[in-house]
Amino acid sequence: MEELLPEDVYRLSHCGKITSFNCQRLPGVNGGEKSELIFSCVSFDRQEKRYVKAAEGAAVLGGRNATNVNVVKCKCVINVQKRVAEPCVLVWKKKNKGESFHYSLLTLSSTNKLEPCIEFKLPYQMEENVSILHGPTVMWIHTGQVFYTSPQAGEVRRIPIQLSHCVFGELPLLNERLFILGQNISGKSSSHHPTRQTLGYLVESGHVFDGSMILPFPYICITLCILVLSAEKEENTLKSAVVAATSNKQLVYLENGMVRETCQLPFEQAENIQVVNTGRNGCLFVVTFSQGHVCTIWRETFQVASHWSGVSSVHVDDFVGCGTDQMLLVFGDQGISGQPLENFLLTDLCGIAYADCPENRAPRTPLPPETHLLTLQALESRLQSGLTVLQEFQREERVKERVLQQSLQALAAAVSERESVVISPEQEGLVALWDCDDESKDEGSDDKKHDMPAVSSKPQVDKLWHCIAEDRMVVGVILTTDISVPVADVSLSILTATGQSSTLSVIQTQSQVFWLPAPYFSSSSPILSSSASNFPEPAAKRSRQHSASRPSDLNTCRLAVTAATALTPLLNSGCVNCRVVLHYIQRRDAFALVSNQTQAVLDCGDIALDIHSEPPTQLLKNPELKTDEVLEDFLSLRTVLDHWVFCVDSPEHSLGDIDGWIQRREGCKRIEVHPQYLLINSAGTSAPMLLHWRQITPFQGELSVHSRQLPMLQFLDSLLAHLPMSSSIQPIKGTTGQEAAQIFSLALEKEAVALRECVSSLLCEEEGGEEEEEKKRSFGEEKGPDLCSAGGLLKVREMWQQDVERSRMKLSPLVDVGRYRKLTQNMFKVQLEADLAALLDTQGTLLS
Amino acid sequence: MNQPTSLLDGWIQENNKLVNRSKGREDHVPTRDQHTGPCSADFHKLLLKIQGIPPLADHMQLELTVTYNTCVCFTAQSHFSEAELLLKQATERVLHMTVDDHDASNPLVLWRKVLESAGSVPLKEYVLFLLCLQWAIWLATCQLKTIQEFKDELFSLVETFSSAIGGDRRSEAGSSDSPLLLLDPRWLSEHLRICTAIAQGAERLSEGWSSEALSDLQTASSLSAPRTLLAYTHLLSGSCLAQMSRPQMALQCYRKALETDSQCVSALYQSTLIYRQMGNTQAEIQALRLLHSTLMFPHTTEPTLPGTHLLSPAFLLCSQSLSSLLSVPSALSVLHSLALKCVLHGRLSEGVEYYLDLLAALHSENQHAVHVEVPPLPRLPKLYLEAGAALLMARLPADCMALCDEVSSSTVELLPEMVVLEEQEDRCEAETGACAEDEDRVQILLWATAAYLLQGHCYTHMRDWKQAITHYTRCINLLVMVRFKKTGFPPQIPNADMVTKKGTHLCTLQRLKGLSLAGRGISFTQTSQLREALRDLQLSLQALPECVGAGLWCGEVLWRLGRRLEAAACWEKTWSRTTQSSEESLSIYLHEPQTGPLLDSSELRRRIQELGHPSPAQE
Repeated sequence: MEELLPEDVYRLSHCGKITSFNCQRLPGVNGGEKSELIFSCVSFDRQEKRYVKAAEGAAVLGGRNATNVNVVKCKCVINVQKRVAEPCVLVWKKKNKGESFHYSLLTLSSTNKLEPCIEFKLPYQMEENVSILHGPTVMWIHTGQVFYTSPQAGEVRRIPIQLSHCVFGELPLLNERLFILGQNISGKSSSHHPTRQTLGYLVESGHVFDGSMILPFPYICITLCILVLSAEKEENTLKSAVVAATSNKQLVYLENGMVRETCQLPFEQAENIQVVNTGRNGCLFVVTFSQGHVCTIWRETFQVASHWSGVSSVHVDDFVGCGTDQMLLVFGDQGISGQPLENFLLTDLCGIAYADCPENRAPRTPLPPETHLLTLQALESRLQSGLTVLQEFQREERVKERVLQQSLQALAAAVSERESVVISPEQEGLVALWDCDDESKDEGSDDKKHDMPAVSSKPQVDKLWHCIAEDRMVVGVILTTDISVPVADVSLSILTATGQSSTLSVIQTQSQVFWLPAPYFSSSSPILSSSASNFPEPAAKRSRQHSASRPSDLNTCRLAVTAATALTPLLNSGCVNCRVVLHYIQRRDAFALVSNQTQAVLDCGDIALDIHSEPPTQLLKNPELKTDEVLEDFLSLRTVLDHWVFCVDSPEHSLGDIDGWIQRREGCKRIEVHPQYLLINSAGTSAPMLLHWRQITPFQGELSVHSRQLPMLQFLDSLLAHLPMSSSIQPIKGTTGQEAAQIFSLALEKEAVALRECVSSLLCEEEGGEEEEEKKRSFGEEKGPDLCSAGGLLKVREMWQQDVERSRMKLSPLVDVGRYRKLTQNMFKVQLEADLAALLDTQGTLLS
Repeated sequence: MNQPTSLLDGWIQENNKLVNRSKGREDHVPTRDQHTGPCSADFHKLLLKIQGIPPLADHMQLELTVTYNTCVCFTAQSHFSEAELLLKQATERVLHMTVDDHDASNPLVLWRKVLESAGSVPLKEYVLFLLCLQWAIWLATCQLKTIQEFKDELFSLVETFSSAIGGDRRSEAGSSDSPLLLLDPRWLSEHLRICTAIAQGAERLSEGWSSEALSDLQTASSLSAPRTLLAYTHLLSGSCLAQMSRPQMALQCYRKALETDSQCVSALYQSTLIYRQMGNTQAEIQALRLLHSTLMFPHTTEPTLPGTHLLSPAFLLCSQSLSSLLSVPSALSVLHSLALKCVLHGRLSEGVEYYLDLLAALHSENQHAVHVEVPPLPRLPKLYLEAGAALLMARLPADCMALCDEVSSSTVELLPEMVVLEEQEDRCEAETGACAEDEDRVQILLWATAAYLLQGHCYTHMRDWKQAITHYTRCINLLVMVRFKKTGFPPQIPNADMVTKKGTHLCTLQRLKGLSLAGRGISFTQTSQLREALRDLQLSLQALPECVGAGLWCGEVLWRLGRRLEAAACWEKTWSRTTQSSEESLSIYLHEPQTGPLLDSSELRRRIQELGHPSPAQE
C-alpha cells in the first residue's frame, strides 16, 4: 500500500497480491522520449514460499513530447462510483517547459488495465502531505492551504477554512468519510495565544465540527499521522477510536478524544499507521517511519511487539489466504535475479512466517532488550518483597515462640508452685533506675521551704491604675509580697460612694491575679541563652539553673491583680470616684491548714473615673516597648479578653516549634514587658489576641489564648492544620469555667425551689382549695366551742379526730399517679441539670 | 464516573483515582512493597501519556503531581535511577517551558536553575515537591555530601512547607478538581529533615566530629517528628557525649531517648556500655536486665497513619554508620553477659538462674536456626562449663556435675590423641583458616579437661575424695597430652616460665594443670596420702604459682609432715603473692574453687606465731 523508498518501484497490495508500478522512459519514435508506466502483479505461492508473477502490463503516458513522468504515490482505495477497491496511482508529468504540472490519477481495473480517473493541472509541484483517499480523492497541502480533488468534485478545490497543523484522515463506515483536523487560526485570536481548539472539517459536506472529539488540542500540533479505527455518530456526537503517532516518539490510542494508552516508539518520524488483524491473536499496529524503520505494537497490551530497519515497504493483506491479515515487509536491497519479489518477510507474528531474507531479518524476539531489564527488575523487586515478607513472618514467629515459651514457663512454674515473674514492657520500671536523683532534688527544695522564716508582712501596693477598655472599666494593682508569706484568694473590690451620701457600696467585679516577672531580674532569657552554648547540659542541670532564676526563689515577688466591671452601671450612678480595696488570705506558712488562714483587707487607694480617658492602645501600637504603660495595657487587655486554655497533645509525633510557628503568623509580635506572651494584632482580625505557649514535653503543650471567640476558633483551625495528624486539642479551661460555679449554684437553687414547690403543689392541690376553705369556715364558725357541754366536747373530739386524720393524710397522702409521675419527671430534670452543672464545676476546678 | 470534559480533567481524575485506590488499598493490606508495584506502573503510564504532549503551562501542575506520585512509588520500591530520571525529565520540561535554553547536566545545577526559574511561576510549590523526592533519594542512597551541598535550598523548602497557609495536613477528601498527592510532601519534608540530621550526625560521629554532630543533633531534637526518630537524636547525642568522654551527660541523653521512645533498646544497650566503662556494676546489671526484658518482648508494630507507610524513616535511614550505632546484641547475648556479671559480682543465685534460662533458651532456639550474631555467643560447651561453675559456686554440685557430664560425654569421642600447641602470637591471621581444625581440637581438649576439673571440684565439695582424685587424675591425664611448640623448637611439655599472655590456650592449660593438681593434692591430704599430696601440690605451684589453695595446703602438708619451718615459709609466700583480681578476665570455671576444704588463715598465722614464738626463745 505504501512506498517507502521512492526510487523507482512503487508497490501496493490489493486482493492478496502485490502490485508494483514503475516508470520507464522509452526512446520515442520522433527522437523524443516517451514514458511508460509499467506495472506487475505478484501473488504469494504457499508451496514454493515465494512470490510468483500473476500479471503485468504497461501504459504509455503522455503523448508526443511528455517528459519527466513520475509516480507520486500509489494506494488502493475505494472507488465510490464503482463501489470497489481499486489500486490507484498518481503520476505527474511536466510538459516541455511549461509552467503547469499535469497530474493524473490512474486506476488499475480488474482487467489489469490502467484507466485514467482524474486529471488536473497545477501551477506548482505537490510537495508535502499528498494523500490518495477514499473516493478516490487526492488531497494535499500547499502554502498552508488544503486542496483536494475527486471525480465527484471534478475540479481542484480549496478548503475554505484556515487551519494549521493539518491532519487528513478517513472515518470508516460513515457516509462522510474524509475529514481534516487542524488547529484553528481564526482572525480574532492573536498569534501569542492560539485558540486551544481542534477544528474538524468534513470534506464531502463542508461541515465544521469539534475536532477534539477525535484528537484533542495538544496533540494536533505534534501528530505526524493518524488512523481512525472506528467512528460512529451518536446523538450528534462523534464516537471515535483513533491511534496517532506523535513527534514525541509516542503512539497514542484515543477514545472520544481521551487518551487511553500510550506507547513509546523506538524510532522518530512516523509516517504511516496500518492495522493488521491477526484474527484470534488480536490486532497489531504497524507503524512505518522514515529511513525505512518499522515497528509493530500489539493493540491489546499496547506494547512494542517487534521492529525492523532497512524496510522498503510494508503491506498488510491476506497474502497467504488464510482469512486473517499478515504483513509483508519488503526489504530495500532487491536483488536483480529476476525474481519478482525477493528479500521479504511475511508474518503475522503469531504463527505465520515466511521469509526470503537473511537470517538476521527474521522476526526478532518480541521483547527488546529494555524489556528484559524491566522483567529482571520486576522479578528482583518481587524477590525483595518476598524476602521482606519472609523476614516479617520470621520475626512474628519468633515473637510468638517467645510468648509461647514464656507461657509455658509460667505454666510450669504454676504447676511446680514456683514463683515466676513475667515482666511486661510497661512494667519495666525505667524510672527506678535513674529517677532517684530527681527525688532528692525535690526533697531539697521542700527543705528549703521549711527553712523559710514565717514572718508575716503585708503585701505592698506598688501601683494602682485604671482604664476603660471596650465597655468595661479595668482597675489594676501591682503588689509586692513576701514570698515566705504566700497570699491566696486575692481579689479586688471596687467601692463606690453613691451620690452624695457617704455609704459605700460594692460593685460586682471579676478579679484576676497574674504573677509578674521579678523586677530585678528582667527576664530569665539571658540565662537560657547562656546555657545554650557550646554543648548543652543535661535537662536536670538546666532546669535547676532555671528554677534558681525564677522569682519564686527570691524573697519578694510581684503580682498584678486586676478587676473588670461593666461601665454602664457606674456611669448610670454618676459615680466618678471609686475606692479600690484588696482582699486576700494570708497563710502563716505554706503548709498551714485552712483554718489557720486569716482574711485581710488592704486599701489600695481611690480612682477617678474619666469616660474620656484613652483606651489602652500603647501595647497594640508598640509591643516592643518596655514601659509601665505597656504593662498596664497588657494586663488590662488580658482582663478584658475571654480566656481559654487548651492542652495540645500529640502522643506519637512531637510537636516541634509551635512558638516559632505562632511567631511566623501575620501580625504576631512578642510582648517585651512579658516575653512569654505573644500578641497577634493583624489587620484582618477585629480583636487582638494574646497567646502563651507552654511546652510541657516534646509531645504535649499548653496553649493559653486571650481573645474573642471567633479569632480564637480561626487560630485553632490553622493550628490544627499545622499540627501532626494524630494530635488533639482539648480545652482545659475556658471563660465558661469561671461561670461554672455560678451555673452550679443557680442550678442548686433552682432544684431546691423546684423541690419545695413541686411537693407543696402536689399536696395542696390534692386536698383541694374548696375543702380547705370549707374547713376554715367551719373552723371559724365553731370558734370557741363550749367545752363544758357534751355536744361541745363531742365536736371538739370530732375536730381533733379530723385533725388527726388530716395529719395522717399529710404524712402519707394519696396523690394522683399521673400527676405524681409528671412531677417526679420534672424533678429529675431539674436534678439532672444540677448534676451537670456540678460536674462542669468540679471539672473546672480540677483542671484549673 | 461522570465523563470528563477535557483531556486535563480526565487525567486529573485518573490520577486521583489511582491515589485513592492506593490509599484505599493501604487500609486493607498493611504490608509494604506488595502493592506499590502495580500502582507505580499505572502512575508511570499516566505520566507517559501526560508527557506525550509538549509542556503546557496549565498542564504542568498535573504533570508535576503525577511525576511526584510516580517517583514516590519508584523510590519506595528502591528504583532510584528510574525515579531520578523522571525527576530530571520533569525539571527539564519545566525549564523548557519557562526558560528556553538550558544546558545543565549536573543535577544540582539543574535544580538550582529550576528553582530560580520557577520562583516566579505558580509551579514553585510543585517543583519543591519534586525536590523533596530528590532529597529522599539522596538520603536513601546515603549521598549526604550532596545534601550538605544543597542544604540551604532544602532548608528553605522545609520552611516553605511548614509555614505555608495552604499546607493543610487534613486531606481534602473528594475534591476532584485538583490533582491529589500520594504522600503529603510536608510530612515527607519534615521526616527528611530529621532523618538527614540523624544520618549526618551518625556520619560525623563515626568520623570523630562529635561536637559538630552534637549541636546539629540538639537542634534536630526539637523538631516535629515521631517518637522513634526523636529518640534517635537523643541516642546519637548521647553517643557524641560518650565519645567526648562525658559519660554522665551521655547517660542523661540515653535516658531522654528512652523516655521518648520506650522501645529504643539501643539507648539501653549504650547505657550498659557506659556503666561498664564507669565500673558501676550494679547499674550495669540492672540496665542489662532491662535490656533483656525489652528484647524479649518486642514491641508490636505501631499503627501507621494513612499515607505514611511509603518512604518510612527506616527506609530513609540506611547509612552504615547509623546502623552500627543502633545495633544491639541479641537477647541471648545480653542474657549471657547478665548471667556472667551476676556471678562475678556475687549475685550467685541470680546468675545461676540466668545461666539456666540461657541454656533453656539455647535449647529451644537451636532446633530452629543458627543466628549469626555480632558479637558471637561463646560456644555451647563453654556456656555449659560457665553455668556449671556458677552452680558449683552456688553450692549445687549435683547440677554442676550433670552439666559437666554433658560436656565430657559430647567431647569424649572427639578427643585427640595428642595436641601440639603452637606459640600463638606468631600465627598470622591468614593461617587461621588452616589451623581451624587444630584450634578446634585444642578447644575440645580444654573443655573436656575443664569438665573433669569441675567434677573433681564437685566431689571435693561433697567430700568424696576418692571420686575427686579419679576426676582430677583424668583431667591431668588429658592435660599431659598437650605439647607446646615454640617456632623453631621441638614440642615440649609446657612449664610455668613460658606463660606470658592471658587468654591464650597456654595460659588456660597452665591454669587447668595447676588447679587440677592442687585439687588432687588437697584430696590426697584428706585421705592422708601426704606424700602424694605434697608432690601434687608442689607440681601445682610450679604450674600456677599464684594458686592460693595449693600454697596453703602445701604448707599444711609440710606442717603435718613435721617440716614446720618450710610450712611457715610456704604460707608466708602464698599470702605475699595473693592477687585475686587477676582472675577477673578468665572464664569462671578457671577460677579457684571456693567450695573445697578450707584452711583458716588466722589459724595458720597463729601456728606460725606459735612456731616463731618459741623459736627465738630456743635460740
